[in-house]
Amino acid sequence: MRKPDGKIVLLGDMNVGKTSLLQRYMERRFPDTVSTVGGAFYLKQWRSYNISIWDTAGREQFHGLGSMYCRGAAAVILTYDVNHPQSLVELEDRFLGLTETASKDCLFAIVGNKVDLTEEGARERPEQEGCSPGRPSGGGAPPTLPKQVRPEDAVALYKKILKYRMLDEKDVPAAEQMCFETSAKTGYNVDLLFETLFDMVVPTILRQRAEGLSQTVDITSYKPPKRTRAGCCA
Amino acid sequence: MMNIKAFTLVSAVERELLMGDKERINIECVECCGKDLYVGTNDCFIYHFLLEEKTVPAGAATFTATKQLHRHLGFKKPVNELRAASALNRLLVLCDNSITLANMLNLEPVPSGARIKGASTFALNENPVSGDPFCVEVCIISVKRRTIQMFLVYEDRVQIIKEVSTPEQPLAVAVDGHFLCLALTTQYIILNYSTGVSQDLFPYCSEEKRPIVKRIGRQEFLLAGPGGLGMFATVAGISQRAPVHWSENVIGAAVSFPYVIALDDEFITVHSMLDQQQKQTLPFKEGHILQDFEGRVIVATSKGVYILVPLPLEKQIQDLLASHRVEEALVLAKGARRNIPKEKFQVMYRRILQQAGFIQFAQLQFLEAKELFRSGQLDVRELISLYPFLLPTSSSFTRSHPPLHEYADLNQLTQGDQEKMAKCKRFLMSYLNEVRSTEGANGYKEDIDTALLKLYAEANHDSLLDLLVTENFCLLTDSAVWLEKHKKYFALGLLYHYNNQDAAAVQLWVNIVNGDIQDSTRSDVYEYVVDFLTCCVDQELVWAHADWVLQKSEEVGVQVFTRRPLDEQQNSFKPDDIINCLKKYPRALVKYLEHLVIDKRLQKEEYHTHLALLYLEEVLQQRGPASSKGAEATETQAKLRRLLQKSDLYRVHFLIERIQGAGLPMESAILHGKLGEHEKALHILVHELRDFSAAEDYCLWCSEGRDPPHRQRLFHTLLAIYLHAGPSAHELTVAAVDLLNRHATEFDAAQVLQLLPDTWSVQLLCPFLMGAVRDSIHARRTMQVAVGLARSENLIYTCDKMKLKGSSVRLSDKKLCQMCQNPFREPVFVRYPNGGLVHTHCAASRHTNPSSPSPGTRT
Repeated sequence: MRKPDGKIVLLGDMNVGKTSLLQRYMERRFPDTVSTVGGAFYLKQWRSYNISIWDTAGREQFHGLGSMYCRGAAAVILTYDVNHPQSLVELEDRFLGLTETASKDCLFAIVGNKVDLTEEGARERPEQEGCSPGRPSGGGAPPTLPKQVRPEDAVALYKKILKYRMLDEKDVPAAEQMCFETSAKTGYNVDLLFETLFDMVVPTILRQRAEGLSQTVDITSYKPPKRTRAGCCA
Repeated sequence: MMNIKAFTLVSAVERELLMGDKERINIECVECCGKDLYVGTNDCFIYHFLLEEKTVPAGAATFTATKQLHRHLGFKKPVNELRAASALNRLLVLCDNSITLANMLNLEPVPSGARIKGASTFALNENPVSGDPFCVEVCIISVKRRTIQMFLVYEDRVQIIKEVSTPEQPLAVAVDGHFLCLALTTQYIILNYSTGVSQDLFPYCSEEKRPIVKRIGRQEFLLAGPGGLGMFATVAGISQRAPVHWSENVIGAAVSFPYVIALDDEFITVHSMLDQQQKQTLPFKEGHILQDFEGRVIVATSKGVYILVPLPLEKQIQDLLASHRVEEALVLAKGARRNIPKEKFQVMYRRILQQAGFIQFAQLQFLEAKELFRSGQLDVRELISLYPFLLPTSSSFTRSHPPLHEYADLNQLTQGDQEKMAKCKRFLMSYLNEVRSTEGANGYKEDIDTALLKLYAEANHDSLLDLLVTENFCLLTDSAVWLEKHKKYFALGLLYHYNNQDAAAVQLWVNIVNGDIQDSTRSDVYEYVVDFLTCCVDQELVWAHADWVLQKSEEVGVQVFTRRPLDEQQNSFKPDDIINCLKKYPRALVKYLEHLVIDKRLQKEEYHTHLALLYLEEVLQQRGPASSKGAEATETQAKLRRLLQKSDLYRVHFLIERIQGAGLPMESAILHGKLGEHEKALHILVHELRDFSAAEDYCLWCSEGRDPPHRQRLFHTLLAIYLHAGPSAHELTVAAVDLLNRHATEFDAAQVLQLLPDTWSVQLLCPFLMGAVRDSIHARRTMQVAVGLARSENLIYTCDKMKLKGSSVRLSDKKLCQMCQNPFREPVFVRYPNGGLVHTHCAASRHTNPSSPSPGTRT
């Protein structure tokens, strides 16, 4: 088995489209998915690096596994459904805590999926999202719904995460860079999301290599005494 | 979910062997070490069996267990766990919360009575850290609350090395190195017993289900997670494999690479660790033990022991391939890499890739097939041999055995579907085309190229010709038969040519042109033959077909002679031979002579005269008796004139004779001109032809490259002819006026004026006169300038002379001649302009002897 050089984890409430996002990116398709059981992962070759991307189960039942999946992650993609404000709230309430095991310089991306179901998405996105910042829920015609979660909300969450992780805004990518709105169904912004992250993760991988503190343990060259330093026990 | 057969379940110990018909007796635990099988029961007995494995060639192995002995431990408690430490020849027996050591052979307790007390369960460290081969590391969950203890167990003693307390009560443990993987009451953790550092894995609920902690390999554990998940975790606390999905009520798990096996109330399930898919389900009721012992997986109910015998990986892979599950087969094969010696694996894996390639091929998944063939380094002849008749008859190829696929040939594979067949052929074409230039083609290039040729020929593909005109290894006999069969005669010719059989090649092409055989490959085969012969070094072949090409077309055919590469032309083909050959083909002969005279500028009288004569003959022929006199000059006539004018080599008299009375005044004028009989020539032009512009042209071309007086003489002659006709010939008068006005500069005006009749008005000759006057004035002025310049030059010389004469030269004994370095003996001397003095005889000898140094430069 190829040993991954870095890990990216998708987190988010059930039914926000984590598996679909990943399948859209890896397999270029949008099949019907069933609720993920436990987790699954893909290996993605990016330049000369193998990056493992973990798809986690959003169901409450598997919530406990998240911490382990996040351990040593170089990036976490927090996913919500732009049509369900609660899914954004859940990110903060339930999922943020899981990321404590992630790598110290772990990157965070906040992704609002299913924009194809919003008015803006249905109109082929003629203008930038968030065109009506004064009116959080502007009137719209069925069957598409006005977007329920505004990009500003995601940006606000991003800033909260930085606070939570006690990171300075100056040291990390800007919120605008790390908040995405995507559609796994149409493929909108999906490549952008993953490839932006890959590019950002590569320096992290290099840094980890340089420090000799690979977060993913190479079991062939394992030196037990090192472990205490590598440990990131909460 | 598609299933595969990875294991077969065989019985190892029948119920009768253990307990006969005693209902109450149940199996509590099992241990297997090599051939030794130990069973612990609830009535405190240990049974020892010897397992004999019998492999039946066709099917799975069967086992027979022979009972060796059994021993009662002396309690009324069940035997909870059994572990063999074969290096110590000891069996670790957990019974009544105490681990005792028994001899593996006779089951007697060690005399020392060494034991570990207060253990509720225990695990051996299969990745020991002590490095002492004569001890085993044992980890126990103590009956003391929240306590784990590590022991070293020797042949007849035990030693505690560590006691660790845990945050919650531990329920299950597995050990790897310094790491303990523990199931606590609410979560799984990894604990380093040496440093005390622990790491949470994930929570679970011990009240709902029994935890499973199973070491599956170096530093990796398998755990029963929420929702029936089999979770993988490394000692670093991360997961490197996606979880497998079991049923909720799994009670035991084991690993037999690459499979994870799980046991629940009703089934044994088999998942692949490679793709996490469930691969097999075996109904198995009331099982309560599932364990793997050095690769051997044992399941047991409370009454019987069974063995899960894995089918050989190769067999499994073959089964997958047989059901066309290529992806899974490849994943399994790749996963098996570490279990099979490298050499053997590579051979096996290549073969699997090839088989997979043929499966994809049969489904017309050509892209995938190609990739598999490529990575499997398929002997491309395997593929070619599927296509009937493509391999050369001489090919020594036989298909590999056992066969890589189930197809006899393409007909069977496509079941006669022509469209599919065509697709397959197109694929093979592109594949062979790619392969032929790679290393993979080495050793059987002939087979590949011949097959490719056959495919191209059959499909009428343009690349057939490209193949044959570039480097190729097509086998002659096989290819020739095929090309003939498909009427690709032109290509066949190319094949012959490539095989140095040019004569056969040309003959074929000739036959195509002649219509003896049909091949529509090219419409310009004749031109091709001509080109071919033009470049052909085989003289005999050229001569042999010269007549044929000339008969077809004299103009084109003659190119075999005229267009030959230069170097060769001189050596081998003699012009005289060629002319001789071309006698029968006048037009070709003309072309050839033109080539010699005009293109190659051969200065040989013969050719020039011959060409002129041929032109003349043709002109005469064209004119014929019927044609009207003075018709437009034909092209040939123009050529004739041009030749007569330009060339000075032909025999003029001979031609004049031929031309006499032929009514070719222009030509005879030119000929007369060549003889210097300009008056006669001009006379013809003026009086016979009355072509005044031709007369003027004559004056011009005839004087080309000659001195101006010659030209003037010609013009004067022409003028004289015009004027002599007298005023009555009005036409000529006009011609004369025009001539003067147009070519004013060509005449000597003074002479002309004397010739002209007095009656002519000045106005009439205005342009001429103006030109003449202007010329005259210009001449005068030029002369004046010249005179002025000459005078001034003269003045300069006079001045120099005066200067030289003005001073005297003193000659003394001391002055030496600059040439001979001797003193002057007489008063006569020579003085150079630079002042050097020399003897007269020295000066004279200097002029006669150019090698002597010049005094002028010397001083």
